[in-house]
Amino acid sequence: MRRTHATHLRVFSGTAALLAAVGSVLVGGSAGASSSKPPLVIGISMSLSGDFSPLAAPELNGYQLWAQTVNAHGGILGRQVVLKIADDASNPTQAVTNYQNFISGDHVDLVFGPFSSLLTIPTAPIAKRYGYAFVEPSGGSPTIFNEHLDNVFFTQPAPILSSGDEFANYILSLPAKDRPKTAAYPTVDDPFTSPIVTEIRDRLQAAGIKTVYSKTYSTETVDLSPVIAGIVAANPQLIVSGTGGADAVAEVKGFIQSKFNPKFLFFTGGPNDPSFKTQVGASNVDGIFSTGDWFYQDKTAGNAAFVQAYVAKYGGTPATIDSAAAEAYAAGQVVALVAQRTGKVDNATIVKALHKGTWPTVEGNLSWTANGSPKGEDIIVQWVKEQLAPVYPPHAAVTSPITKPPWGG
Amino acid sequence: MHLFAQSIIIGVLIGGVYALLASGMTMMFGVTRIINFAQAMFAIVCAYLSYSLFTHFGIDPFLSVAILMPVMFLFGYGVYSFLLRRLGKAGPAMALMVLFALGIGAQGVTDLVYGTNPITFTPSYANDSWVVFGFQIPAVRFFAFVMAVAVLGAFHLIRQHSKLGRALRATSQNPAAASLLGVDVQRMSAVATGLGFAAAGAAGPIYGLIFPFTGNSQYDLLSKLLTVMILGGLVSMPGVIIAAVFLGVVESVIAATLSPDWSSFSFLVALFIVLMVRPQGLFGGHRVQGALW
Repeated sequence: MRRTHATHLRVFSGTAALLAAVGSVLVGGSAGASSSKPPLVIGISMSLSGDFSPLAAPELNGYQLWAQTVNAHGGILGRQVVLKIADDASNPTQAVTNYQNFISGDHVDLVFGPFSSLLTIPTAPIAKRYGYAFVEPSGGSPTIFNEHLDNVFFTQPAPILSSGDEFANYILSLPAKDRPKTAAYPTVDDPFTSPIVTEIRDRLQAAGIKTVYSKTYSTETVDLSPVIAGIVAANPQLIVSGTGGADAVAEVKGFIQSKFNPKFLFFTGGPNDPSFKTQVGASNVDGIFSTGDWFYQDKTAGNAAFVQAYVAKYGGTPATIDSAAAEAYAAGQVVALVAQRTGKVDNATIVKALHKGTWPTVEGNLSWTANGSPKGEDIIVQWVKEQLAPVYPPHAAVTSPITKPPWGG
Repeated sequence: MHLFAQSIIIGVLIGGVYALLASGMTMMFGVTRIINFAQAMFAIVCAYLSYSLFTHFGIDPFLSVAILMPVMFLFGYGVYSFLLRRLGKAGPAMALMVLFALGIGAQGVTDLVYGTNPITFTPSYANDSWVVFGFQIPAVRFFAFVMAVAVLGAFHLIRQHSKLGRALRATSQNPAAASLLGVDVQRMSAVATGLGFAAAGAAGPIYGLIFPFTGNSQYDLLSKLLTVMILGGLVSMPGVIIAAVFLGVVESVIAATLSPDWSSFSFLVALFIVLMVRPQGLFGGHRVQGALW
């Protein structure tokens, strides 16, 4: 359940032409249902091919599941939802073209956001230009919010750069005797990652936790063993590591090999992916912290039904549902809620309504600042008894944080 | 001081893997004058194949080397015989481009088959390590180093103490003269290409055991291998081995003691300095005829 911001992965896009040729228009829900009202057509540019296609697939699943669910309950204000989806090949230029076509050519009723910040940044202004609301699930870059577009609504609880705040809150909530005295802060040089670590470091340093290691490694770094050797030599009680996934696995393996077991171990990304357990070994995961915006155990609005429906439709288990699906589902939920509360589902009403109040979704109770940045907080998770569980803040926790046990080997 | 020494150990161990991969490129280049721009990707392909053998059949990655080396030898032999040989008149530059294209194509296939999420091996000994005189020796890296040394030793024996090796060396030194003496130069070129590919077959599973990898890993690896080759003198096998270990140590020490951000850059700095000061490489006796730079 990793974050869905733009990644550095590269995917061979040989299937792009094939996918594009298929037509890339997918219909969500039963458009032909017996309704005398016209369908509510929602245009979405989606990375069906190209670099982001494997990562964007859960987002598409989430959109389609929402459409299916809402149509099964009579649609929105009696109108069946039809998703008009066009492939952007993970290309910002194509994404812009898609939204221009949706709005000025197809005259869709609404649009939802594409996958990743990279594609959201150039497309949100298009929607703004034509007066469309831009409810978007995966564009969390500060660049988007710095545009000060009042039509943008990011359907995650917190901006990505704030995702470590709750971990700092957790550490600072501990009694002084239980707090770590020293900390290490390795981080990958990534605009979505290193600021999270810096924020945590600044707060913990100010609280008296001594920094004994703080270094940045490039995204191209393959061999992390020298970094690990440096951390081990510094002997910190707490490690806050800015990671994307594979580097978290490498660090854990390195710590195990070095027989170094810190008291607290937090990664910004990696352990929040269900496959992490397989990669580092089940006996080594307990006690490791990470963060995220959604987890299948969340007690949020409609989450249990969403999880059940998702597994029924796409297979797998609740634990394997990618948070991108929930984020997309939440985008649909807020629009449905606007219609329910106002009796309207036009763009002006959506923009006006979403700037007021809170909106309960599977991602939690969402509310936004004037520039579309969410006002909430992310969740801190920890591996407890080999299961990933929300542990902080207390209102979102399903269990209490545990003390990190020794490595299982 | 302890960290400095520990980082040297780490560098030596990983340098052995670089040496194995680069030695395959050197072996091929020495005879064919073709730089195998697909060497890194073929190693990654072998890492993927080893991963499949491990996950589906329980074959240990180190044992998979015994399967992948002969397979890659035959593949390399075939690539030279049916592809590179036919490009003869177009020159090494065209062959280089064809191999680079092969590498890109191979990445497309691995991305489609395995996806683009990093792959990690988890054999039972993946996290084992020993403490020797206070220094950590990760078992996987140690075994990888031993395997690399063993394969390099086998290559050395073939090259220096066999009839085939003499023919390879003769072809490398003077193809025309070798041909006059009855050496089948084209066959030797195919054999050298096969041995170069076999090195990728040996190093791929080892690389995959140590590092998480994707198809994209080829680019970082390729840049390192080219640096090692140039530093080592392109055709000097001992030079390439020493250069690989040297660069592995430099990379590790800089990462541990200065900044990890600078470690990858150290390869490029070394490449720049060598090209400026001694373009034939530290261990190259003369400028290589037919080389591309």
